[in-house]
Amino acid sequence: MPQVTIDNKVFDVEGQPKLLQFCLDVGVELPHFCYHPAMSIPANCRQCLVQIGTPVKDRETGEIKRDDNGDPIIQYFPKLMTSCSVDVSDGMVVKTHRSSDVVDRAQKDNLEFLLINHPLDCPICDQAGHCPLQIQSYKYGSEGSRFEFRKVHKPKKVMLGPRVMLDAERCINCTRCTRFTDEISKSHQLTIIERGVRNYPLTPPGVVFDEPYSMNVIDICPVGALTSVDFRFRARIWEMSSTPSITVTNAKGSNCEYWVRDNLVLRITPRQNRKVNEYWLPDEDRTAYHMFNENRPDGPQVRREGKLMRVGWQDAYRAAADRLNGVDRSKVLFLGSAHATVEDNYLLKQLAEAIGADVPVYIPHVEPGKADEWLVTDDRTPNANGCERLGIHPVDEALIRSKLEGGEIEAVYVMEDDPIGSGLFSEDELRDIPVILHPYHTTNETLAVADVALPAAMVVETVGTYVNVDGRAQRVRPAKAIQGVNRTLMMEMGASRQDKHGTPFDRWHNESNRIDCLPSWQVLPEIAESLGLALPKGSPKQLMRQIAETVDGFEGATYDAMGLSGVQLVEVGEIA
Amino acid sequence: MVFIRQPIVELPDQDPERIFSDDELVFTGEEKELIGRFQKQYPTPEGAVMKALWLAQEKFGFLPPEVIRLTADELGIPYSLAYGVATFYTQYYKEKMGRYVLDVCTCFSCQMCGGYDMLHLLEKKLGIHEGETTDDGLFSIQEVECLGACGTAPMLQVTNGPYVHNLTEDKLDGLIESLRAGKMPPFVSVTLPQDEDEMDGNRRTDAEAVEVYQTPPRGLAME
Amino acid sequence: MQPSNGAGTTKAGDWRNYKRVLLPPIRDLHQLAVYEKNGGYTALRSVLTDSKWDPKKVTDEVKASGLRGRGGAGFSTGMKWSFMPPVEPDKPRYLACNGDESEPGTFKDRQLMEYNPHLVFEGILIAAYAMSISTTYLYIRGEYADWIKHMEHELEKIYARGFVGKNIMKTDFSTEIVIHKGAGAYICGEETSLLESVEGKRAYPRIKPPFPAQKGLWARPTTVNNVESLACAPLIVNRGSEWFARLGPAKHPGPVLYGISGHVNRPGVYEYPTGMLITDLIDHVAGGMRGGKKLKALVPGGASVPVLRADMIEGVTMDAESLREAGSMMGTAGMLILDEDTDMVKFLRRVTHFYHHETCGQCTPCREGTGWLENLVTRIDDGEGNLRDLDLLLDLCDQMEGRTVCALADGAAWPVRNTIKRFRDEFEAKCRKSIFAAGVVA
Repeated sequence: MPQVTIDNKVFDVEGQPKLLQFCLDVGVELPHFCYHPAMSIPANCRQCLVQIGTPVKDRETGEIKRDDNGDPIIQYFPKLMTSCSVDVSDGMVVKTHRSSDVVDRAQKDNLEFLLINHPLDCPICDQAGHCPLQIQSYKYGSEGSRFEFRKVHKPKKVMLGPRVMLDAERCINCTRCTRFTDEISKSHQLTIIERGVRNYPLTPPGVVFDEPYSMNVIDICPVGALTSVDFRFRARIWEMSSTPSITVTNAKGSNCEYWVRDNLVLRITPRQNRKVNEYWLPDEDRTAYHMFNENRPDGPQVRREGKLMRVGWQDAYRAAADRLNGVDRSKVLFLGSAHATVEDNYLLKQLAEAIGADVPVYIPHVEPGKADEWLVTDDRTPNANGCERLGIHPVDEALIRSKLEGGEIEAVYVMEDDPIGSGLFSEDELRDIPVILHPYHTTNETLAVADVALPAAMVVETVGTYVNVDGRAQRVRPAKAIQGVNRTLMMEMGASRQDKHGTPFDRWHNESNRIDCLPSWQVLPEIAESLGLALPKGSPKQLMRQIAETVDGFEGATYDAMGLSGVQLVEVGEIA
Repeated sequence: MVFIRQPIVELPDQDPERIFSDDELVFTGEEKELIGRFQKQYPTPEGAVMKALWLAQEKFGFLPPEVIRLTADELGIPYSLAYGVATFYTQYYKEKMGRYVLDVCTCFSCQMCGGYDMLHLLEKKLGIHEGETTDDGLFSIQEVECLGACGTAPMLQVTNGPYVHNLTEDKLDGLIESLRAGKMPPFVSVTLPQDEDEMDGNRRTDAEAVEVYQTPPRGLAME
Repeated sequence: MQPSNGAGTTKAGDWRNYKRVLLPPIRDLHQLAVYEKNGGYTALRSVLTDSKWDPKKVTDEVKASGLRGRGGAGFSTGMKWSFMPPVEPDKPRYLACNGDESEPGTFKDRQLMEYNPHLVFEGILIAAYAMSISTTYLYIRGEYADWIKHMEHELEKIYARGFVGKNIMKTDFSTEIVIHKGAGAYICGEETSLLESVEGKRAYPRIKPPFPAQKGLWARPTTVNNVESLACAPLIVNRGSEWFARLGPAKHPGPVLYGISGHVNRPGVYEYPTGMLITDLIDHVAGGMRGGKKLKALVPGGASVPVLRADMIEGVTMDAESLREAGSMMGTAGMLILDEDTDMVKFLRRVTHFYHHETCGQCTPCREGTGWLENLVTRIDDGEGNLRDLDLLLDLCDQMEGRTVCALADGAAWPVRNTIKRFRDEFEAKCRKSIFAAGVVA
């Protein structure tokens, strides 16, 4: 096995990695800016310099020359080399700043150069707190500055596009953004202009940086040069908690992190997953966070005397049970949802079975032509694949309408969807029959005819599993607290959330913005109980284990297996 | 004598006004054919971008964003690529310059041989500072880096074209006068000192017949 | 004027009777008919048709001649040619001829292209044969517009004559030459930056490895040579490598074009063998110092090489080894002679301004460092500098050198370091007294 010695410690090497990537993988931290594993290597920031030596080989025999102790004679390259561009080779000896003064000096000097024209914007810069330049200056830079001249001034508040703001002074010309638009998204909308110290990235005049993946440059920019117009000045990074989860705007299930402060989702950033979205997110996923904060319902409601009235949860359960008891149970239409988790849909299916109604169906939300070949799919829901695997199929509109007209449907139970809003039914058609609804938003049009409304927790508030369009099962974790007490959710939120919330005795403790909603996997067993039926009452984790063991198409999809990056499920053909 | 410009980089106009009309902003069939020939000299479409930008500058006089976009479209390359290339080099004019751009070399040898004196004389004679254009739009003065004519220092170049060697105040006056009359300075073949000794002067018999490079002013190019 | 006191011996042999070969005294030699009449293109013909020549033999001959690159680095040309990998059929290989003569103080390639363009073309063609090149890109800086037209005109003629293109001279060797016009960037003289410029991208230099011989233009094997270096190839083929190797000192032989400028009576381009005594060049060739002034300093090879004081040139000859010993470099042999009235601080200021203007901006030390150097030297020149600035300048030179993608930062650091070291009193005289010691910040 090839070996490399870094700072007198020997490591085994697999494959042909670049030295910097190898160091980062084994935990040897090296400062760098312009290197990004997904893009070409320009080696222009010059921060990752190290001293590299290779064993001297005898010209004729090819044998490694050794000294008196039997150690290979190492010939060091005369200049320091950038570790990001060097391939690791067997017998290589590397000295980082930890064991070489020259390298330490080089890294300090480089940071000094970076900071001479960099504006002192930390107090007003969004990047502060997660800024590689800040962190590396603190760790590897010199104290103070010897620069006593006026810094170069460049345009500071340039709207490159509707979602990306440029501050050219902060730019360190690492060219990550232009490489992204040239190599990854191929939109060619950014270029570096001018020459020398006047360099900065810009769109050519007349072009707007509006490509559907434009906000990715914000994440890869190592300084605060490219920031989000939407998120600008909203919150500091250390005020927010970040929770690993997935996005739900489409069926790709791109991995993301939800950033929450005071129980409001403030932004969505990509999370690395080589199998799904690598390092990227489409803009449509990022700008969708408003839906978690706005137009959320104010607790369960029951229609009395024609108006929806706020009630407690137990009253709501009883009202729902009453409505269902008042009709022929076999004629209840259950509508599952591709917005809801696998566990939710599974429980709904069980409820339907227990009641004696037909298997639930779901309303597909597909916009043909929307897909690009990357992270945007036609399917605008995150769990259609999951529903299919459970045996929940798209609703046959014609059939359902004929059933409704023929009096075959006496009640509608809608979980986390909007049949009137999506045009399946009209208000008149549903007005006379009981409708029980798990809505996300107050703008749900079915509320106009709902008899019982039980607000449902959205993806940021629940625990559950989603199966994406490629058949990958991924689980989500709660980022936003709900009003009620739910032990599973509270445990999942874990330590990373507690200090952001504080205890009720802390000054910054905040009860605001908690929605009075519950996950469907908690509500459905309660409804069943009110009906006198029994549904599994376990946690989603136990539920999912059960599903993985009993349902074909979910084999292997346990929470432990899914972890942070999900589990690839087998391809299934036509599911009965 | 202040070399250092105030280090303020301006933002290029992101929504620039159109300078050329739709009729003017086209390449003729001949020009397109020429660009096509340039492209055949390189295995990729981008290779010909520098030659195409020169052609565009010769036609339009300078390279506003719309012309760069036109060139990029003609070549079939991204607009950002052509724009990045155009802003990298100093000889591509991004703004309308005077009819005659006087690039005075003040670097190294020319500095030591009076290049700055010539620059200041020129500034005084034309009444403008380095980097500006005269009000009548005839002259722009620029201070440039080494032009590769150090043996005949001080010297200047007229609009990316002919060199004017061994400047003196009289020569400057003569140059300005003839330029005002619309006459470009002639091509001068710099005689090697060894030729001076061994061949009694310049070795070329055809130097006078050389036509110098010109960037036609906008109006003329359009006709 | 410093008369040579005989302390050094010239290594250029009997230079007073030297017969020029790069720029022979033939009227209108630039015209194809005249060139051919005077033995032009015979080297190409023999290389293509005589069975004693094959590509490897040509390369070996050039290697044996000891020709070193005339573009500034002085790397053995023959060895550079031998770095090209074996030929892969139907896959192109390229040669880039570097005519982007933007190094301040250098103006010899312009004269060579004007007076003997066909020697350059013939050299390119011989090199193309030696390395099995498909297309040569002759990169000429954009400011040489008139000379580009001149070269294009002559190129057309040899295309018509069948000396370039398909089946040259009716043999089965084919190669193309394309003249690529630059647009005003000193950085394009750097070989990988030149390649990027030819490819139609922003001319940022590339990291090496991979070297151009492995991955050059469009990732194909490419060699980059200076105009003058390639112009020596026909001479080597015609007259033999021994003739070439005997001209000038053993380690750095051959004819070279000295571009003498500055405070001398007869500035211009002179062709002599390498190894000329600097004092010979100033006093006997260039007519001595202007106005009878004393020599103060000279820069032997263009702005990037360290400056030499008048008391350092005793016995120093213009070849790589001698200059290196003396504390400078051969560079492009573009010599700037400075007399006793020269203000070295003003000189250095303009040099730092040049590098600040010409840096491409790709990598951090050069992009930021050149500006900082200029700011500091300007401040000193304006009388606002402190003594500690001098130490800071020297520090910055150490910080920039060897840490960048290309050698422009080195070229910016060397003049600063050496001008300050060798003329420290002039700089100190312009500084204000400072109460802080240098390098206060750790």
